[in-house]
Amino acid sequence: MAREPRPSETKLSHTAALILQALDAGFVYGFSIMEMTGLPSGTVYPAMRRLERDELIRSNWEKQSIADAEQRPTRKYYKLTAAGKTTLEASRRRYPLLERLIPTEEARTV
Amino acid sequence: MRLSFNWKWGTWKSGKWKWEPAMRLLHFGLLRCAALLVPGNRRAEWSREWQGELWHVRQACAPAGCTGWRGELEVTQFCLGAFQDALCLRRTGPQPKQAFAAMEGTARQCILILVAILAASDGIALLLPGVRAELMLWPRKVNPNLVLIRGQGSDYDSLPSISSAQFRSWTARKQKYFDGFAFYRVTRESVEPGWVPGERPDRSNWGVAHASSNTFALLGLPVRFAEPGRSTEGDLPEVILGEAVWKRHFGAEPRVAGVVMRMGTQMVRIAGVVPDGSLGLPGRVDAWLLEPDSAMGTGGDGYVIAHLTPMGKAEMWAPCVKITANGPDESEDDLLGVSLEEWRPAPETLYGFALFLALLALPAITSVSLGEASANPQKTSWGRRIFRWSFLSAKIALLLPIVYLVSLDLAYGFTTFGRERAVYIQLISTFLMCLFGLRWVLKDQRQRCPVCMRCVTHPAHVGQASRTFLDWNGTEMMCMGGHTLLHVPSLPTSWFSTQRWLYLDTSWGFLFAGSTRQIP
Repeated sequence: MAREPRPSETKLSHTAALILQALDAGFVYGFSIMEMTGLPSGTVYPAMRRLERDELIRSNWEKQSIADAEQRPTRKYYKLTAAGKTTLEASRRRYPLLERLIPTEEARTV
Repeated sequence: MRLSFNWKWGTWKSGKWKWEPAMRLLHFGLLRCAALLVPGNRRAEWSREWQGELWHVRQACAPAGCTGWRGELEVTQFCLGAFQDALCLRRTGPQPKQAFAAMEGTARQCILILVAILAASDGIALLLPGVRAELMLWPRKVNPNLVLIRGQGSDYDSLPSISSAQFRSWTARKQKYFDGFAFYRVTRESVEPGWVPGERPDRSNWGVAHASSNTFALLGLPVRFAEPGRSTEGDLPEVILGEAVWKRHFGAEPRVAGVVMRMGTQMVRIAGVVPDGSLGLPGRVDAWLLEPDSAMGTGGDGYVIAHLTPMGKAEMWAPCVKITANGPDESEDDLLGVSLEEWRPAPETLYGFALFLALLALPAITSVSLGEASANPQKTSWGRRIFRWSFLSAKIALLLPIVYLVSLDLAYGFTTFGRERAVYIQLISTFLMCLFGLRWVLKDQRQRCPVCMRCVTHPAHVGQASRTFLDWNGTEMMCMGGHTLLHVPSLPTSWFSTQRWLYLDTSWGFLFAGSTRQIP
């Protein structure tokens, strides 16, 4: 009987790994990931849907009061889950250039 | 979720970038279109996220007041990506087959099916000319106190049996029981309906009724498109078309009155249109050629319509009475007077009668109990009980017009049956459909879970027929939502006469893991 692969065993595409790396680096919403990775919106958002479905990332809406104070619409932030972090570690071993493309030091406050 | 286009995000500076509002509208439209691809349950959140992101993209790529197409192009490309995201969500969301499976057995599915059948039967009724004539447009009833006079020897009403000489002798004398007569005889004649001088005539063979000029006044039937004030162009005889030939040869043109055409050897002028066959008069008539009484002297036998005086009405004690009339040679003729009022009951009357009969017969073929006695009122809220009764009412309310329309389709959709047979077809079909339709309504209601209103499924036979009087023997069905079990005895006994509902508590949940559904 086939068993479910453990998160650390999940093999991600390069794109998905790149998005996880960007999230880990602190780029926590869709447009910032697009800017960082250079991927188009038609790639980034569907990939994030799949990552969220696989429970590697989770999303939450920012508070309405914050958005109102800045006179802008609310945005949805994404965050790595524990499984996502484990998978990212495995992906880094698989794609050694990942950390060089988006160094974690580049994390910025959003 | 409604996407609203918020104009306050960014300001439009006149003269610098005049296309900005148009581009905003374009981006808004793109997101709105893409949202249509997203499954309904996720559309609101999806739209909110993309709208929020769009604001940030605009701020970064095309801030308000900046000129240039490059920024707008980037924003447009961003919006186009929404379609890929929407399609991705659609693929990963519930598929149509799954959605259909989730609806299976629900009250909503039942109502939708009934509505579809109602729409189909209504559509068919409107497509069939005979049914359409029954339902709408044409008045069905002629003047009261009218009788059709025919010879006693003829077995069929459709056989013409009154000579024109008899008709003339009756009209010439003052009558005690009748104060008006109309005569018509039907012949087959060659007609050129669309004839234009200089072109090859389009000939066809019609059943033409040569009728006395007072026929329609006596019947009290309005002639459509008639123009009373129109001059009689050269004293041409007037012809009134039947609905079928009017549609077939004149394309249902409303301005048909006044058109001149050749009928037999003479030219005639069209005076209007009347319905086909819904008058209850015998003979297959395509057109009525109105002739003065003096022209009625020639030709064969025909039909006479007579209007009863009050004294005649008093004597008309049955739909069909014997009449003794003096003929032109002072001989006494035995005739029959058939009331045109009683010729054919209205479809609504027949329907009501058949429905009444079906309601009387219903207890003979099924139990009229809904099995509500075993439903636990403590476990079923008032809202659910009201919903249950509303669902039953909706089923009946949809079934009754379906039966009416389908019975009309069967009875009047096929002209080969004839009008007399149509009455019987409508009566029998209405009775059977009402009887078995109501039986289905009750049976379906009994087999719906009192909690979620889904049909119970997976019938399992429990017990042995030989042990009916020692142990329980019957069928068990379960609600796939995990709410109830239904026990139906195979043979009603004094201790288990009707079906019973067993409410399942949460300990049964593991059996229905993944299939337990929310109460709709």
